[in-house]
Amino acid sequence: MTVKESGVAGWLVDRGVAPVFLAPSLILLVVLLVGPFVYMVGISFTDLSYALPNHDGNFVGFDNYRRLMRDDPIFWSSFATTLGFVAATVSIESLAGLGLALLLFHHIKRRRFVLTLLLIPMMLAPVAVGLMWKLMLQGEFGMLTHYLRVVGLLGAQTAPLSTLSLVMPTIVLIDAWEWTPFVTLVLLAGMLSLPREPFEAAIMDGAGPLRIFRDITMPLLRTIIALVLLLRGIDAFKEFDKVFILTGGGPGIATELLSIYTWRINFREWDLGYGAVVAFMVYLVVLILCSVFHKAIYWTEARETRR
Amino acid sequence: MSRGWRMAMVATLVVVLVIALTPYLWLIMTSLKSRIDALADQPVWLFTPTFDHYPKVFIDKDYLPLLWNSVVVASTTTLLSLVVGVPAAYVFARHDFAAKEDLFFFFTTRMAPPISVVVPMFLLFSYIGLIDTRTSLILAHSTFNLSLVVWMMRGFFADIPREIDEAAQMDGHSRAGMFLRVLLPLAAPGMAATAVLCFMLSWNEFLYALILVAFEGRTLTVGIPGLVTPHGTLWGQVAAVAVVATVPIIVFTVIVQKHLVRGLTFGAIKG
Repeated sequence: MTVKESGVAGWLVDRGVAPVFLAPSLILLVVLLVGPFVYMVGISFTDLSYALPNHDGNFVGFDNYRRLMRDDPIFWSSFATTLGFVAATVSIESLAGLGLALLLFHHIKRRRFVLTLLLIPMMLAPVAVGLMWKLMLQGEFGMLTHYLRVVGLLGAQTAPLSTLSLVMPTIVLIDAWEWTPFVTLVLLAGMLSLPREPFEAAIMDGAGPLRIFRDITMPLLRTIIALVLLLRGIDAFKEFDKVFILTGGGPGIATELLSIYTWRINFREWDLGYGAVVAFMVYLVVLILCSVFHKAIYWTEARETRR
Repeated sequence: MSRGWRMAMVATLVVVLVIALTPYLWLIMTSLKSRIDALADQPVWLFTPTFDHYPKVFIDKDYLPLLWNSVVVASTTTLLSLVVGVPAAYVFARHDFAAKEDLFFFFTTRMAPPISVVVPMFLLFSYIGLIDTRTSLILAHSTFNLSLVVWMMRGFFADIPREIDEAAQMDGHSRAGMFLRVLLPLAAPGMAATAVLCFMLSWNEFLYALILVAFEGRTLTVGIPGLVTPHGTLWGQVAAVAVVATVPIIVFTVIVQKHLVRGLTFGAIKG
């Protein structure tokens, strides 16, 4: 779908406009992303470390990769923790988000105002989110810990963030608190943009709300739901800020998600050669997820234009 | 719908809103509580507010420069990303060329995991002496803001009917002239929304800031964990910093709400 390049004189002179307009952004991205990326891959073949003597970037071949595959159970347990976190948060958020979106879809009065209030959790800085929940879940004076103890859901001496069995569910719920509004916002937008005719026809035919939801709403929303899940999945996979503030990965390594593990290896143990491999792995996983997302978008767009 | 149903719906919404808003309200209240009220065994809901924590942390503890850093970093990265990204977005919306889809994939960088980007960035920036400067953070934040601009503005340009291009062409505008004098003004509202979103993303960003700036260049978000210590955290002061770091965001959210869906889904869903 090119603009028709005919007619007015001087138009052809501007044919060079595309490269000129694109160049600055491409250069910036190459310098800021591709450059460091290549550098990281380079470092991953060295023993660079700021903590050990004589580890100043000697070439070690695939040693770091071998170590990742064979001798680093913590990486793999962190990988599993992350996958668990992603699965738990994405499923809770999508169910709660869908429910809320349906609720708001039918609740017309002051919908916009209610939605604005609902968006607050996800717009605040994640660090602030982590902080406010840490404050509420403090062992000695936390507001929420106090009430949970009063209702008997929490033992007198237990604090959710330092108890091994409670810490992961707590963090999942906090993430759900933060991001359910996102799912709601996007699904509601999707619902409001649906054509009215199928619904009217179904109501005329006497279909109940459940049937309408199952046979009309869900199929029409399918692609949007898929995109939202994918986006949330990618984001959850990268989670760092909240968990860093809330637990720092602890107790032990109970909540050490991949991004926190990568941070620890690189910026606490200063094991940079090996850290580059770990960072590279995280990159790869996200890259794969992103290309799925990218394909999904092109697929949706192509389908929409065909319609 | 029956009366009972409607009552149940409203009740559910009220509960949801209480859950969604209480943590933030509690934070604001904590920033206004005396130390005794904040650390009381029983949660204190009614108290005489004190405004001591704000001057204590921002003036006595010298947190004002952090606020200034946040403002400078967020505005500069926004400006840089717009200047560089808007023309690119126009090309993606209006031109066709062979490598378009591949090039566009390049702009999914906003989804790249920051922890992986920041590791080599830290080493390179230390090498050229950029560590702990606002410049390092401005550049780092531009990686995701630039792709946000391209994704969002591409959508806004695509929304402008092609007839306008043709009319401008008839009027004798060159392509660059048409972009500057005709399309850009039409896309201005979208550009404003994009700018606000860029500003928010940078303002809220934590991981790059944590790694790249340690003292001089620190922003507000990095100032928060600095005040949380295992023993004797001054909750009133941390809360005060967090409130100052979040209040502008509330205002901005209201401004850009209409465009949030597009911004947060990379333009995949128009909203």
